[in-house]
Amino acid sequence: MFRPFLSLRPLLRLAGFSAAHNGVLPPSSAVAAAAFTTSTATNLKQLPPRPKHPPESEIEESFLKGSGPGGQKINKTNSAVQLKHLPTGIVVKSQATRSRTQNRKIARDLLALRLDELANGSQSRAAVVGDVKQKRAASKAKKSRRKYKKLAEEKEKKGNVKEEGGRLAGEEEEWLEEEEDGEEEEGKDEGGRKEVTTLGGTGTKRATIVEVENTRNER
Amino acid sequence: MPRLRPSLFWQARREISPLAAQLLPACRDLESAANELRWIREHVQDTPSSVPPGLRVWNLVEKRGKGVPLQYVLGTQPFGNLEIQCRPGVLIPRPETEAYTLHLATLLSQSQHPPPHSLSILDLCTGTGCIPLLLLHALHASLPPTTALNIHGIDISPAAISLARANHHQHNPLPAPASPPLSPSHQRTLTFHQTSIFSPTLLSSLLPTLFPRSSSGLDLDLLVSNPPYISASDFARATARAVRNHEPRLALRYAARWGWCRPEDVFYARLLEIAAVLKPKRVLMEVGGMEQALRVVRMVGRFSSLLGGDGDGDGDGDGS
Repeated sequence: MFRPFLSLRPLLRLAGFSAAHNGVLPPSSAVAAAAFTTSTATNLKQLPPRPKHPPESEIEESFLKGSGPGGQKINKTNSAVQLKHLPTGIVVKSQATRSRTQNRKIARDLLALRLDELANGSQSRAAVVGDVKQKRAASKAKKSRRKYKKLAEEKEKKGNVKEEGGRLAGEEEEWLEEEEDGEEEEGKDEGGRKEVTTLGGTGTKRATIVEVENTRNER
Repeated sequence: MPRLRPSLFWQARREISPLAAQLLPACRDLESAANELRWIREHVQDTPSSVPPGLRVWNLVEKRGKGVPLQYVLGTQPFGNLEIQCRPGVLIPRPETEAYTLHLATLLSQSQHPPPHSLSILDLCTGTGCIPLLLLHALHASLPPTTALNIHGIDISPAAISLARANHHQHNPLPAPASPPLSPSHQRTLTFHQTSIFSPTLLSSLLPTLFPRSSSGLDLDLLVSNPPYISASDFARATARAVRNHEPRLALRYAARWGWCRPEDVFYARLLEIAAVLKPKRVLMEVGGMEQALRVVRMVGRFSSLLGGDGDGDGDGDGS
Protein backbone atom coordinates (compact mmCIF):
# COMPACT_ATOMS: atom_id res chain seq x y z
CA MET A 1 0.00 0.00 0.00
CA PHE A 2 2.83 2.37 0.90
CA ARG A 3 5.23 1.22 -1.83
CA PRO A 4 4.46 3.89 -4.45
CA PHE A 5 5.09 6.58 -1.85
CA LEU A 6 8.33 4.98 -0.74
CA SER A 7 9.64 4.96 -4.27
CA LEU A 8 8.70 8.60 -4.66
CA ARG A 9 10.57 9.64 -1.55
CA PRO A 10 14.07 9.87 -3.12
CA LEU A 11 12.55 11.80 -6.00
CA LEU A 12 11.20 14.44 -3.65
CA ARG A 13 14.54 14.63 -1.88
CA LEU A 14 16.38 15.04 -5.16
CA ALA A 15 14.11 17.65 -6.58
CA GLY A 16 13.84 19.61 -3.35
CA PHE A 17 10.87 21.84 -2.65
CA SER A 18 12.94 24.98 -3.05
CA ALA A 19 13.70 24.02 -6.65
CA ALA A 20 10.04 23.44 -7.26
CA HIS A 21 9.31 26.88 -5.81
CA ASN A 22 11.80 28.54 -8.11
CA GLY A 23 10.26 26.80 -11.07
CA VAL A 24 13.55 24.95 -11.84
CA LEU A 25 12.93 21.40 -12.96
CA PRO A 26 15.32 18.66 -11.84
CA PRO A 27 17.42 16.94 -14.53
CA SER A 28 15.19 14.45 -16.30
CA SER A 29 17.61 11.53 -15.96
CA ALA A 30 17.55 11.79 -12.18
CA VAL A 31 13.78 11.73 -12.22
CA ALA A 32 13.71 8.69 -14.47
CA ALA A 33 16.21 6.79 -12.34
CA ALA A 34 14.31 7.51 -9.16
CA ALA A 35 10.83 6.98 -10.54
CA PHE A 36 11.48 3.44 -11.83
CA THR A 37 12.82 1.99 -8.59
CA THR A 38 10.85 -1.17 -8.00
CA SER A 39 12.16 -2.33 -4.63
CA THR A 40 12.37 -0.46 -1.39
CA ALA A 41 15.73 1.25 -1.22
CA THR A 42 16.04 0.94 2.57
CA ASN A 43 16.51 -2.86 2.60
CA LEU A 44 19.03 -2.90 -0.20
CA LYS A 45 21.27 -0.42 1.54
CA GLN A 46 21.54 -2.41 4.73
CA LEU A 47 22.48 -5.74 3.11
CA PRO A 48 26.14 -6.66 3.53
CA PRO A 49 27.92 -7.42 0.21
CA ARG A 50 28.22 -10.96 -1.10
CA PRO A 51 31.24 -12.54 0.58
CA LYS A 52 34.32 -13.27 -1.58
CA HIS A 53 35.34 -16.82 -2.42
CA PRO A 54 38.05 -18.24 -0.16
CA PRO A 55 41.46 -18.76 -1.83
CA GLU A 56 41.78 -21.94 -3.91
CA SER A 57 44.71 -23.13 -1.76
CA GLU A 58 42.33 -23.59 1.20
CA ILE A 59 39.80 -25.65 -0.76
CA GLU A 60 39.83 -29.35 -1.46
CA GLU A 61 37.60 -30.05 -4.42
CA SER A 62 36.17 -33.43 -5.33
CA PHE A 63 33.82 -34.53 -8.07
CA LEU A 64 31.43 -37.12 -6.79
CA LYS A 65 31.16 -40.02 -9.13
CA GLY A 66 30.96 -43.73 -8.75
CA SER A 67 33.90 -46.00 -9.41
CA GLY A 68 33.97 -48.25 -12.44
CA PRO A 69 34.22 -47.51 -16.12
CA GLY A 70 34.11 -43.98 -17.45
CA GLY A 71 34.50 -42.18 -20.72
CA GLN A 72 32.50 -43.47 -23.65
CA LYS A 73 31.38 -46.57 -21.77
CA ILE A 74 28.91 -44.80 -19.50
CA ASN A 75 26.84 -41.67 -19.66
CA LYS A 76 26.67 -39.78 -16.39
CA THR A 77 24.24 -36.97 -15.76
CA ASN A 78 25.42 -36.23 -12.24
CA SER A 79 28.08 -33.54 -12.06
CA ALA A 80 27.99 -32.81 -8.34
CA VAL A 81 30.87 -30.82 -6.86
CA GLN A 82 31.93 -31.12 -3.24
CA LEU A 83 34.22 -28.63 -1.55
CA LYS A 84 36.03 -28.96 1.74
CA HIS A 85 37.41 -25.87 3.39
CA LEU A 86 40.62 -27.16 4.93
CA PRO A 87 41.12 -24.68 7.83
CA THR A 88 37.56 -25.02 9.20
CA GLY A 89 36.50 -28.44 7.90
CA ILE A 90 33.24 -27.10 6.44
CA VAL A 91 31.96 -29.28 3.62
CA VAL A 92 29.51 -28.03 1.00
CA LYS A 93 28.10 -29.82 -2.02
CA SER A 94 26.31 -28.54 -5.08
CA GLN A 95 24.33 -30.51 -7.60
CA ALA A 96 22.07 -27.65 -8.57
CA THR A 97 22.70 -27.76 -12.31
CA ARG A 98 23.79 -30.29 -14.92
CA SER A 99 26.87 -28.20 -15.64
CA ARG A 100 29.98 -28.90 -13.61
CA THR A 101 31.31 -25.42 -14.37
CA GLN A 102 28.18 -23.88 -12.84
CA ASN A 103 28.17 -26.26 -9.89
CA ARG A 104 31.76 -25.35 -9.05
CA LYS A 105 30.79 -21.69 -8.93
CA ILE A 106 27.63 -22.31 -6.89
CA ALA A 107 29.55 -24.47 -4.39
CA ARG A 108 32.13 -21.70 -3.95
CA ASP A 109 29.37 -19.11 -3.40
CA LEU A 110 27.82 -21.36 -0.80
CA LEU A 111 31.12 -21.97 0.97
CA ALA A 112 31.82 -18.24 1.05
CA LEU A 113 28.40 -17.66 2.65
CA ARG A 114 29.03 -20.31 5.30
CA LEU A 115 32.44 -18.88 6.14
CA ASP A 116 30.93 -15.42 6.35
CA GLU A 117 28.29 -16.78 8.71
CA LEU A 118 30.97 -18.40 10.83
CA ALA A 119 33.04 -15.22 11.02
CA ASN A 120 30.33 -12.57 11.40
CA GLY A 121 27.48 -14.46 13.07
CA SER A 122 24.29 -12.45 13.09
CA GLN A 123 25.95 -9.68 11.04
CA SER A 124 26.66 -12.05 8.13
CA ARG A 125 24.93 -11.72 4.81
CA ALA A 126 23.03 -15.00 5.12
CA ALA A 127 21.65 -14.01 8.53
CA VAL A 128 20.67 -10.50 7.42
CA VAL A 129 19.01 -11.77 4.23
CA GLY A 130 17.19 -14.42 6.24
CA ASP A 131 15.97 -11.76 8.69
CA VAL A 132 14.70 -9.51 5.91
CA LYS A 133 12.85 -12.38 4.25
CA GLN A 134 11.34 -13.50 7.52
CA LYS A 135 10.12 -9.98 8.27
CA ARG A 136 8.67 -9.63 4.81
CA ALA A 137 6.84 -12.96 5.11
CA ALA A 138 5.55 -12.03 8.56
CA SER A 139 4.19 -8.70 7.40
CA LYS A 140 2.57 -10.33 4.40
CA ALA A 141 0.92 -12.91 6.61
CA LYS A 142 -0.28 -10.17 8.94
CA LYS A 143 -1.77 -8.18 6.07
CA SER A 144 -3.56 -11.17 4.65
CA ARG A 145 -4.90 -12.10 8.09
CA ARG A 146 -6.18 -8.52 8.51
CA LYS A 147 -7.78 -8.54 5.06
CA TYR A 148 -9.73 -11.75 5.57
CA LYS A 149 -10.73 -10.75 9.07
CA LYS A 150 -12.23 -7.61 7.58
CA LEU A 151 -13.96 -9.61 4.84
CA ALA A 152 -15.37 -11.99 7.41
CA GLU A 153 -16.71 -9.08 9.45
CA GLU A 154 -18.35 -7.58 6.36
CA LYS A 155 -19.89 -10.90 5.54
CA GLU A 156 -21.32 -11.14 9.03
CA LYS A 157 -22.80 -7.66 8.75
CA LYS A 158 -24.35 -8.43 5.35
CA GLY A 159 -25.62 -11.73 6.67
CA ASN A 160 -27.42 -9.83 9.46
CA VAL A 161 -28.97 -7.36 7.00
CA LYS A 162 -29.99 -9.87 4.31
CA GLU A 163 -31.07 -12.63 6.57
CA GLU A 164 -34.29 -13.09 4.65
CA GLY A 165 -32.72 -12.61 1.14
CA GLY A 166 -32.33 -16.38 0.64
CA ARG A 167 -30.60 -17.13 -2.65
CA LEU A 168 -28.37 -14.08 -2.99
CA ALA A 169 -26.94 -14.45 0.48
CA GLY A 170 -26.23 -18.10 -0.21
CA GLU A 171 -24.27 -17.26 -3.33
CA GLU A 172 -22.20 -14.72 -1.55
CA GLU A 173 -21.41 -17.13 1.20
CA GLU A 174 -20.10 -19.59 -1.32
CA TRP A 175 -17.78 -16.98 -2.77
CA LEU A 176 -16.52 -16.02 0.66
CA GLU A 177 -15.86 -19.61 1.53
CA GLU A 178 -13.67 -19.90 -1.52
CA GLU A 179 -11.74 -16.88 -0.41
CA GLU A 180 -11.17 -18.42 2.96
CA ASP A 181 -9.81 -21.56 1.37
CA GLY A 182 -7.36 -19.34 -0.44
CA GLU A 183 -6.23 -17.84 2.81
CA GLU A 184 -5.59 -21.22 4.29
CA GLU A 185 -3.41 -22.19 1.40
CA GLU A 186 -1.52 -18.96 1.56
CA GLY A 187 -0.89 -19.54 5.22
CA LYS A 188 0.58 -22.95 4.53
CA ASP A 189 2.80 -21.52 1.83
CA GLU A 190 4.02 -18.87 4.19
CA GLY A 191 4.84 -21.47 6.79
CA GLY A 192 6.97 -23.37 4.29
CA ARG A 193 8.82 -20.27 3.25
CA LYS A 194 9.51 -19.33 6.83
CA GLU A 195 11.03 -22.70 7.46
CA VAL A 196 13.40 -22.14 4.59
CA THR A 197 14.35 -18.63 5.49
CA THR A 198 15.29 -19.48 9.05
CA LEU A 199 17.94 -21.70 7.51
CA GLY A 200 19.24 -18.66 5.74
CA GLY A 201 19.11 -19.33 2.04
CA THR A 202 17.00 -20.10 -0.96
CA GLY A 203 15.72 -23.60 -0.41
CA THR A 204 18.94 -24.86 1.12
CA LYS A 205 18.91 -27.84 3.41
CA ARG A 206 21.32 -27.60 6.24
CA ALA A 207 22.91 -30.43 8.12
CA THR A 208 25.51 -29.89 10.82
CA ILE A 209 28.46 -29.64 8.46
CA VAL A 210 27.41 -30.86 5.04
CA GLU A 211 25.29 -28.53 3.02
CA VAL A 212 23.69 -29.57 -0.23
CA GLU A 213 22.64 -26.98 -2.73
CA ASN A 214 19.89 -28.31 -4.96
CA THR A 215 18.42 -25.13 -6.31
CA ARG A 216 19.70 -22.75 -8.87
CA ASN A 217 21.13 -19.58 -7.38
CA GLU A 218 19.29 -16.32 -7.62
CA ARG A 219 21.16 -14.30 -10.11
CA MET B 1 22.00 -54.53 -13.10
CA PRO B 2 20.61 -55.35 -9.63
CA ARG B 3 16.84 -55.38 -9.18
CA LEU B 4 15.27 -52.30 -7.58
CA ARG B 5 13.18 -52.97 -4.48
CA PRO B 6 9.46 -52.16 -4.89
CA SER B 7 9.67 -50.20 -1.63
CA LEU B 8 12.06 -47.80 -3.36
CA PHE B 9 9.36 -46.98 -5.92
CA TRP B 10 6.85 -46.38 -3.12
CA GLN B 11 9.36 -44.17 -1.34
CA ALA B 12 9.91 -42.15 -4.53
CA ARG B 13 6.15 -41.71 -5.00
CA ARG B 14 5.64 -40.67 -1.41
CA GLU B 15 8.66 -38.44 -0.83
CA ILE B 16 9.27 -36.88 -4.24
CA SER B 17 6.59 -37.45 -6.86
CA PRO B 18 5.00 -40.26 -8.89
CA LEU B 19 7.07 -38.91 -11.79
CA ALA B 20 10.26 -39.63 -9.83
CA ALA B 21 9.11 -43.23 -9.45
CA GLN B 22 8.74 -43.36 -13.21
CA LEU B 23 12.33 -42.16 -13.60
CA LEU B 24 13.75 -44.75 -11.18
CA PRO B 25 14.35 -47.58 -13.69
CA ALA B 26 16.71 -45.28 -15.59
CA CYS B 27 18.21 -43.33 -12.67
CA ARG B 28 18.59 -46.24 -10.23
CA ASP B 29 18.53 -44.14 -7.03
CA LEU B 30 16.31 -41.57 -5.34
CA GLU B 31 18.78 -38.70 -5.38
CA SER B 32 19.45 -38.77 -9.10
CA ALA B 33 15.75 -39.35 -9.85
CA ALA B 34 14.93 -36.19 -7.88
CA ASN B 35 17.70 -34.27 -9.65
CA GLU B 36 16.68 -35.37 -13.12
CA LEU B 37 13.02 -34.60 -12.44
CA ARG B 38 14.03 -31.11 -11.32
CA TRP B 39 16.15 -30.60 -14.44
CA ILE B 40 13.31 -31.78 -16.69
CA ARG B 41 10.93 -29.33 -14.98
CA GLU B 42 13.43 -26.49 -15.29
CA HIS B 43 13.93 -27.31 -18.96
CA VAL B 44 10.17 -27.19 -19.57
CA GLN B 45 9.94 -23.90 -17.67
CA ASP B 46 12.81 -22.32 -19.61
CA THR B 47 11.67 -23.33 -23.11
CA PRO B 48 8.41 -21.83 -24.36
CA SER B 49 5.98 -24.11 -26.18
CA SER B 50 2.31 -24.24 -27.06
CA VAL B 51 1.97 -27.63 -25.37
CA PRO B 52 0.87 -27.36 -21.71
CA PRO B 53 3.88 -27.66 -19.34
CA GLY B 54 2.45 -30.52 -17.30
CA LEU B 55 1.99 -32.65 -20.40
CA ARG B 56 5.49 -31.85 -21.62
CA VAL B 57 7.02 -32.85 -18.28
CA TRP B 58 5.03 -36.07 -18.38
CA ASN B 59 6.16 -36.88 -21.93
CA LEU B 60 9.82 -36.20 -21.19
CA VAL B 61 9.71 -38.23 -17.97
CA GLU B 62 8.14 -41.14 -19.82
CA LYS B 63 10.88 -41.03 -22.44
CA ARG B 64 13.65 -40.82 -19.84
CA GLY B 65 12.07 -43.58 -17.76
CA LYS B 66 12.34 -45.90 -20.75
CA GLY B 67 16.11 -45.43 -20.72
CA VAL B 68 16.72 -42.72 -23.33
CA PRO B 69 19.75 -40.66 -22.17
CA LEU B 70 18.72 -37.42 -20.45
CA GLN B 71 20.82 -35.45 -22.94
CA TYR B 72 18.73 -36.73 -25.85
CA VAL B 73 15.52 -36.10 -23.90
CA LEU B 74 16.44 -32.48 -23.12
CA GLY B 75 18.45 -31.94 -26.29
CA THR B 76 21.51 -30.45 -24.61
CA GLN B 77 24.55 -31.24 -22.48
CA PRO B 78 26.57 -28.57 -20.66
CA PHE B 79 30.21 -28.63 -21.78
CA GLY B 80 32.42 -26.07 -20.09
CA ASN B 81 30.32 -22.93 -20.23
CA LEU B 82 28.56 -24.02 -23.44
CA GLU B 83 25.25 -25.81 -23.84
CA ILE B 84 26.06 -28.30 -26.58
CA GLN B 85 23.06 -29.54 -28.54
CA CYS B 86 22.65 -33.33 -28.62
CA ARG B 87 20.65 -35.45 -31.03
CA PRO B 88 20.22 -39.20 -31.35
CA GLY B 89 22.86 -40.51 -33.73
CA VAL B 90 25.68 -38.38 -32.34
CA LEU B 91 27.75 -39.26 -29.25
CA ILE B 92 26.96 -37.22 -26.12
CA PRO B 93 29.96 -35.22 -24.82
CA ARG B 94 31.44 -36.79 -21.67
CA PRO B 95 32.64 -34.97 -18.52
CA GLU B 96 36.15 -36.46 -18.90
CA THR B 97 36.41 -34.88 -22.32
CA GLU B 98 35.21 -31.58 -20.86
CA ALA B 99 37.87 -31.71 -18.14
CA TYR B 100 40.82 -32.32 -20.44
CA THR B 101 39.60 -29.84 -23.04
CA LEU B 102 39.48 -27.07 -20.42
CA HIS B 103 42.92 -28.11 -19.17
CA LEU B 104 44.22 -28.07 -22.72
CA ALA B 105 42.86 -24.58 -23.30
CA THR B 106 44.67 -23.20 -20.23
CA LEU B 107 47.89 -24.97 -21.31
CA LEU B 108 47.65 -23.51 -24.81
CA SER B 109 46.97 -19.98 -23.65
CA GLN B 110 49.44 -19.84 -20.74
CA SER B 111 52.40 -21.94 -21.78
CA GLN B 112 53.60 -19.76 -24.63
CA HIS B 113 55.35 -16.44 -24.05
CA PRO B 114 55.12 -14.33 -26.08
CA PRO B 115 51.69 -15.41 -27.40
CA PRO B 116 52.00 -17.13 -30.77
CA HIS B 117 51.24 -15.43 -34.05
CA SER B 118 48.72 -18.13 -34.92
CA LEU B 119 47.40 -21.42 -33.56
CA SER B 120 46.10 -24.21 -35.76
CA ILE B 121 44.15 -27.12 -34.34
CA LEU B 122 42.73 -30.26 -35.96
CA ASP B 123 40.06 -32.37 -34.22
CA LEU B 124 39.41 -35.80 -35.73
CA CYS B 125 36.15 -37.66 -34.94
CA THR B 126 34.61 -34.44 -33.69
CA GLY B 127 31.00 -35.63 -33.11
CA THR B 128 28.96 -32.73 -31.71
CA GLY B 129 31.96 -30.46 -32.28
CA CYS B 130 32.27 -29.93 -28.53
CA ILE B 131 36.08 -30.03 -28.32
CA PRO B 132 36.87 -27.48 -31.07
CA LEU B 133 33.98 -25.24 -29.95
CA LEU B 134 35.12 -25.12 -26.34
CA LEU B 135 38.73 -24.56 -27.43
CA LEU B 136 37.60 -21.75 -29.72
CA HIS B 137 35.63 -20.11 -26.91
CA ALA B 138 38.33 -20.48 -24.28
CA LEU B 139 41.17 -19.39 -26.56
CA HIS B 140 39.14 -16.55 -28.03
CA ALA B 141 38.67 -15.18 -24.51
CA SER B 142 42.21 -15.74 -23.23
CA LEU B 143 44.51 -15.07 -26.18
CA PRO B 144 45.30 -11.52 -27.33
CA PRO B 145 43.44 -10.47 -30.49
CA THR B 146 46.67 -10.54 -32.51
CA THR B 147 46.71 -14.34 -32.44
CA ALA B 148 44.98 -16.01 -35.35
CA LEU B 149 43.07 -19.26 -34.74
CA ASN B 150 42.62 -21.86 -37.45
CA ILE B 151 40.51 -24.77 -36.16
CA HIS B 152 39.09 -27.68 -38.17
CA GLY B 153 36.88 -30.59 -37.15
CA ILE B 154 36.45 -33.78 -39.17
CA ASP B 155 33.89 -36.56 -38.78
CA ILE B 156 32.58 -39.34 -40.99
CA SER B 157 28.93 -39.02 -39.97
CA PRO B 158 26.75 -36.49 -41.82
CA ALA B 159 24.46 -36.25 -38.76
CA ALA B 160 27.44 -35.31 -36.59
CA ILE B 161 28.69 -32.69 -39.03
CA SER B 162 25.29 -31.03 -39.38
CA LEU B 163 24.91 -31.01 -35.58
CA ALA B 164 28.43 -29.61 -35.15
CA ARG B 165 27.59 -26.83 -37.60
CA ALA B 166 24.35 -26.11 -35.73
CA ASN B 167 26.30 -25.93 -32.47
CA HIS B 168 28.85 -23.63 -34.04
CA HIS B 169 26.08 -21.42 -35.33
CA GLN B 170 24.56 -21.25 -31.85
CA HIS B 171 27.80 -20.65 -29.96
CA ASN B 172 29.71 -18.34 -32.22
CA PRO B 173 31.93 -16.03 -30.16
CA LEU B 174 33.26 -14.34 -33.26
CA PRO B 175 31.88 -11.03 -34.50
CA ALA B 176 29.27 -11.25 -37.23
CA PRO B 177 30.55 -10.91 -40.80
CA ALA B 178 28.82 -7.54 -41.11
CA SER B 179 31.15 -5.93 -38.58
CA PRO B 180 34.57 -4.73 -39.81
CA PRO B 181 36.65 -7.80 -40.67
CA LEU B 182 39.92 -8.43 -38.88
CA SER B 183 43.03 -8.37 -41.01
CA PRO B 184 43.51 -11.70 -42.80
CA SER B 185 46.42 -12.77 -40.60
CA HIS B 186 44.38 -12.30 -37.43
CA GLN B 187 41.31 -14.27 -38.42
CA ARG B 188 39.73 -16.84 -36.16
CA THR B 189 37.89 -19.60 -37.96
CA LEU B 190 36.32 -22.94 -37.15
CA THR B 191 35.19 -25.23 -39.97
CA PHE B 192 33.75 -28.73 -40.04
CA HIS B 193 34.35 -31.24 -42.85
CA GLN B 194 32.62 -34.52 -43.48
CA THR B 195 35.07 -37.23 -44.49
CA SER B 196 36.45 -40.53 -43.24
CA ILE B 197 39.81 -40.31 -41.54
CA PHE B 198 40.69 -43.57 -43.32
CA SER B 199 40.08 -41.97 -46.70
CA PRO B 200 43.25 -42.10 -48.83
CA THR B 201 42.63 -38.57 -50.10
CA LEU B 202 42.59 -37.09 -46.58
CA LEU B 203 46.36 -36.74 -46.30
CA SER B 204 47.06 -36.01 -49.94
CA SER B 205 44.36 -33.50 -50.85
CA LEU B 206 42.13 -32.27 -47.96
CA LEU B 207 44.51 -31.51 -45.10
CA PRO B 208 47.13 -29.59 -47.15
CA THR B 209 44.40 -27.15 -48.19
CA LEU B 210 43.42 -26.52 -44.54
CA PHE B 211 46.81 -25.79 -43.01
CA PRO B 212 49.80 -23.87 -44.41
CA ARG B 213 52.98 -25.81 -45.06
CA SER B 214 55.94 -25.59 -42.73
CA SER B 215 59.50 -26.84 -43.13
CA SER B 216 58.86 -30.38 -41.80
CA GLY B 217 55.17 -31.07 -42.44
CA LEU B 218 52.09 -28.94 -42.11
CA ASP B 219 51.95 -26.02 -39.70
CA LEU B 220 49.76 -27.69 -37.06
CA ASP B 221 49.98 -26.91 -33.34
CA LEU B 222 47.61 -29.51 -31.98
CA LEU B 223 46.03 -32.75 -33.15
CA VAL B 224 43.23 -33.84 -30.81
CA SER B 225 40.91 -36.82 -31.10
CA ASN B 226 38.33 -38.78 -29.15
CA PRO B 227 38.01 -41.81 -31.44
CA PRO B 228 35.84 -44.90 -30.91
CA TYR B 229 37.87 -47.05 -28.52
CA ILE B 230 35.59 -49.66 -26.90
CA SER B 231 36.48 -53.30 -27.63
CA ALA B 232 33.81 -55.80 -28.68
CA SER B 233 33.87 -57.59 -25.30
CA ASP B 234 33.76 -54.33 -23.32
CA PHE B 235 30.90 -53.13 -25.49
CA ALA B 236 28.93 -56.27 -24.61
CA ARG B 237 29.76 -56.29 -20.87
CA ALA B 238 31.23 -53.08 -19.45
CA THR B 239 29.17 -50.54 -21.40
CA ALA B 240 26.07 -49.02 -19.81
CA ARG B 241 22.73 -50.07 -21.23
CA ALA B 242 21.68 -46.52 -22.12
CA VAL B 243 24.91 -46.08 -24.09
CA ARG B 244 24.62 -49.43 -25.87
CA ASN B 245 20.98 -48.99 -26.83
CA HIS B 246 20.79 -45.30 -27.67
CA GLU B 247 24.17 -43.89 -28.65
CA PRO B 248 25.67 -44.52 -32.10
CA ARG B 249 27.91 -47.60 -32.35
CA LEU B 250 29.87 -45.81 -35.04
CA ALA B 251 31.22 -43.45 -32.36
CA LEU B 252 31.94 -46.16 -29.77
CA ARG B 253 33.68 -49.14 -31.35
CA TYR B 254 35.35 -50.31 -34.51
CA ALA B 255 34.82 -53.96 -35.27
CA ALA B 256 37.07 -54.77 -38.24
CA ARG B 257 40.76 -55.61 -38.16
CA TRP B 258 43.23 -53.33 -39.85
CA GLY B 259 46.80 -54.50 -40.28
CA TRP B 260 48.57 -55.77 -37.18
CA CYS B 261 46.71 -54.20 -34.27
CA ARG B 262 43.62 -54.99 -32.22
CA PRO B 263 40.26 -53.75 -33.54
CA GLU B 264 39.83 -51.28 -30.67
CA ASP B 265 43.27 -49.76 -31.38
CA VAL B 266 42.82 -49.33 -35.12
CA PHE B 267 41.95 -45.66 -34.80
CA TYR B 268 45.12 -44.93 -32.84
CA ALA B 269 47.22 -46.56 -35.56
CA ARG B 270 45.58 -44.39 -38.18
CA LEU B 271 45.80 -41.26 -36.00
CA LEU B 272 49.52 -41.86 -35.47
CA GLU B 273 49.95 -42.41 -39.19
CA ILE B 274 48.30 -39.03 -39.80
CA ALA B 275 50.40 -37.46 -37.06
CA ALA B 276 53.55 -38.87 -38.64
CA VAL B 277 52.78 -37.02 -41.86
CA LEU B 278 51.47 -33.77 -40.40
CA LYS B 279 54.04 -33.58 -37.60
CA PRO B 280 51.87 -31.53 -35.21
CA LYS B 281 53.57 -29.96 -32.19
CA ARG B 282 51.23 -31.75 -29.77
CA VAL B 283 48.93 -34.76 -29.98
CA LEU B 284 46.12 -35.54 -27.54
CA MET B 285 44.09 -38.73 -27.83
CA GLU B 286 41.45 -40.01 -25.43
CA VAL B 287 41.85 -43.68 -24.53
CA GLY B 288 39.68 -46.09 -22.55
CA GLY B 289 41.65 -47.11 -19.50
CA MET B 290 45.22 -47.89 -18.50
CA GLU B 291 45.78 -51.01 -20.60
CA GLN B 292 44.83 -49.27 -23.80
CA ALA B 293 46.93 -46.26 -22.81
CA LEU B 294 50.00 -48.49 -22.46
CA ARG B 295 49.35 -50.13 -25.84
CA VAL B 296 49.01 -46.72 -27.47
CA VAL B 297 52.23 -45.46 -25.87
CA ARG B 298 54.04 -48.53 -27.24
CA MET B 299 52.52 -47.77 -30.62
CA VAL B 300 53.78 -44.20 -30.45
CA GLY B 301 57.30 -45.53 -29.81
CA ARG B 302 57.08 -47.84 -32.81
CA PHE B 303 55.88 -45.05 -35.08
CA SER B 304 58.54 -42.56 -34.04
CA SER B 305 61.30 -45.14 -34.59
CA LEU B 306 59.85 -46.11 -37.96
CA LEU B 307 59.26 -42.64 -39.28
CA GLY B 308 61.83 -40.59 -37.40
CA GLY B 309 59.22 -38.15 -36.08
CA ASP B 310 59.26 -36.88 -32.50
CA GLY B 311 56.32 -38.68 -30.91
CA ASP B 312 54.84 -36.32 -28.34
CA GLY B 313 51.91 -38.47 -27.32
CA ASP B 314 49.63 -37.33 -24.53
CA GLY B 315 47.14 -40.04 -23.69
CA ASP B 316 44.16 -39.39 -21.49
CA GLY B 317 43.02 -42.30 -19.37
CA ASP B 318 39.46 -42.70 -18.23
CA GLY B 319 39.95 -44.84 -15.14
CA SER B 320 37.97 -47.89 -16.18
